[in-house]
Amino acid sequence: MAVTEALIGIKRIPFRIRVISEKGCLMIFVDFFYTLKEYGVPITTQYILEFEEALKKGLAKDIDELYILSRLICVKRIEHLDGFDCAFSKYFFGIEMPRGGEYVDLFSLLESKPFKEWLDKQIKEGKLDFGDVRWRIPPQDLFKKFLKTLAEQNEAHHGGNKWIGTDGTSPYGHSGRSAGGLRVLGQSQRKSALKTIGERRYINFADTAKIRSENLRQALETFKNMVPSGPKTELDLDETVYRTAKNAGEIEFIFRSELRDKIKVALLIDNGGYSMDPYSALVSIVLSKIKDRFKDLKIYYFRNCIYGNIFLDQERLKKYPTEKLLVQDKDTRVLIIGDASMAPEELSYPDGAIEYGVNDKEPGEVWLKRINSRFRYSVWLNPIIKSFWLDAYGTNTLQMIGDIFHMEDLTLGGIKNAVDYINTQKE
Amino acid sequence: MSSNTNSKSNEDMRFYGTDRYFLSPELGSIVNIALAMDKPLLLMGEAGTGKTQLAFEVARALSMKIYVARCKSTMKGEELCYDHDTVARLYESRFGSKETGRDPAKFDDYIVNGPIGKSFLAEEKGVLLLDEIDKTESDVQDNLLDILEAYEFTIREIDRTIQAKYKPFIVITSNAKRELSDPFLRRCYCHYIEFPTPEQMRYIIALHYPKTSENLIDAALNIFYALRQQGFEKAPATSELLNWIGALKIEEVSPPTLKKIVDSGDRLPYLGALLKRAGDIQAYTNRINGRDRSADWDKKDTFSYKGY
Repeated sequence: MAVTEALIGIKRIPFRIRVISEKGCLMIFVDFFYTLKEYGVPITTQYILEFEEALKKGLAKDIDELYILSRLICVKRIEHLDGFDCAFSKYFFGIEMPRGGEYVDLFSLLESKPFKEWLDKQIKEGKLDFGDVRWRIPPQDLFKKFLKTLAEQNEAHHGGNKWIGTDGTSPYGHSGRSAGGLRVLGQSQRKSALKTIGERRYINFADTAKIRSENLRQALETFKNMVPSGPKTELDLDETVYRTAKNAGEIEFIFRSELRDKIKVALLIDNGGYSMDPYSALVSIVLSKIKDRFKDLKIYYFRNCIYGNIFLDQERLKKYPTEKLLVQDKDTRVLIIGDASMAPEELSYPDGAIEYGVNDKEPGEVWLKRINSRFRYSVWLNPIIKSFWLDAYGTNTLQMIGDIFHMEDLTLGGIKNAVDYINTQKE
Repeated sequence: MSSNTNSKSNEDMRFYGTDRYFLSPELGSIVNIALAMDKPLLLMGEAGTGKTQLAFEVARALSMKIYVARCKSTMKGEELCYDHDTVARLYESRFGSKETGRDPAKFDDYIVNGPIGKSFLAEEKGVLLLDEIDKTESDVQDNLLDILEAYEFTIREIDRTIQAKYKPFIVITSNAKRELSDPFLRRCYCHYIEFPTPEQMRYIIALHYPKTSENLIDAALNIFYALRQQGFEKAPATSELLNWIGALKIEEVSPPTLKKIVDSGDRLPYLGALLKRAGDIQAYTNRINGRDRSADWDKKDTFSYKGY
């Protein structure tokens, strides 16, 4: 069946599309694929060819089958499904739904702690009905309400803070740079505020970042520690031949354990402080890839610099003594992700931590040196691109930390270098 | 490439579900598109949504042979295609191979085909099931790319490429515990199977137990979907429900009795058919004994706002 014929034959296809297809123009379907692209669904030429082939085989007899067929061909990951649905409804029915990205954003915002706290309060105070929240009020409206309350609060208490942004392009108005969670407190006046008192703020490094980088996976693929382990089931052919020859041809089988990947990775992430804000999207991609890659992976969080305690959760509430980290297996590969930008006091003075409630007699520098000397393999990954290291805010501390740890930037190349560096370190 | 000269051509192969398998119209179209396009079909979804079963039922309905590869984390991928029995070859080269009739000088005599190899060499189109692919390491998935794309693999030792005589219909299942790589996904048609709705579940029960009374099904479904909401570590799925209904039928538990048990807060009969983990059964028992009431309240307070 010819493609045009197939197109004309599709039942219940909207009139607009029918007219174009009767003119015998395949371009409309190429257009459709571009619409998909607009909605963030990754498309390759292969898909278009496949689609053409399927049409020739007569696999789309009505619009429902067309929907299933094009979805099968184009959607490979569940997170693209929403984008596909939007594109399909826009292209074939002319109905425009909010873009997938906005939904994803919105949901991550709805997950954020401040919003949940606000919602809890509203329900407790009886301003909102639980059933309404769950079923009847669309999340967009709910979120707008939240923003309104906050705006009012801000007006009242702080004389109009900027966080519900005047400077952003996001539909929800918080300042455009915040890529991860939600900025609730006021923008800090100076980045190196010595003691930030107030509510804790965290960047939500969501696991489900939209952008994925296949290359990164491959870079991490070489990051292995192959050691023989498990039962001796693999035939060692060379050794068998050698022994057999020694035995004058009397066969002697030699078995060995298989090589298995026994790599242990500890990942320490700086997820606090405004200086890390612009990098949260980048860090979440790296985080999701690292999580997929390593079975034995432990993740810890810290703010700006490492002191006597690191934290097991992103909110930095569950303390984990750094000393416990220091008695872990020497062969653990330690990766630290942070911008290494802070006030010099944080690094080299006792009691230098800016986090409220953290008072540590020993300066961060001491702790960093301890970590470096304990573990054979450690690398600091900095989201600031290497060429900016000399000009970056906090270049002082960046240099100091660079003297302690081998530092690479958080780019594909930097990660490859870091992996190479660790792989070439001899015991 | 030799294809479709055999008895069955792809165009006449259509799958309409079977007497044992409830096929939603959507999934039906998907299977038939994948069959017609000669593309591997990747089915994702939680346990008990019938992913694996589908492959067996397609094979049965279209009278094809099925080749099953159950994936394990220690797999390399190659052994799914072929293995070479070096030990036997060495042994026979020393002690003779009269009994087996193999010739130690010939590599071919010691090739052992895995499920993929068998399905490629078969004289008829078959179904190839790669079950729980997400259990394998990511390099195994990379090794399988040629299989999915070109339906071929290479025997490394003798550098011989084996191409499928008749492209099998490949069904891959995944619980999506770990992410699959983009190149792998690109080569498949992917479908996420939702957990059956109560309406669909009725059909499924009717397929397995045709003479079940509507009342019993109603009562059982209510209990079942309520249990699924309660956040057990392993929530009961379709096969658990079917086993449970089977038990209820054999013991002739009537719907009123069942209702009475639930209303009075007693332990459900044959609970072991529904809940499998010791921890879950304990949690259930605590709950009906009222010991866990405080925990229940806690749960309500910290209700997650996910999924509006």
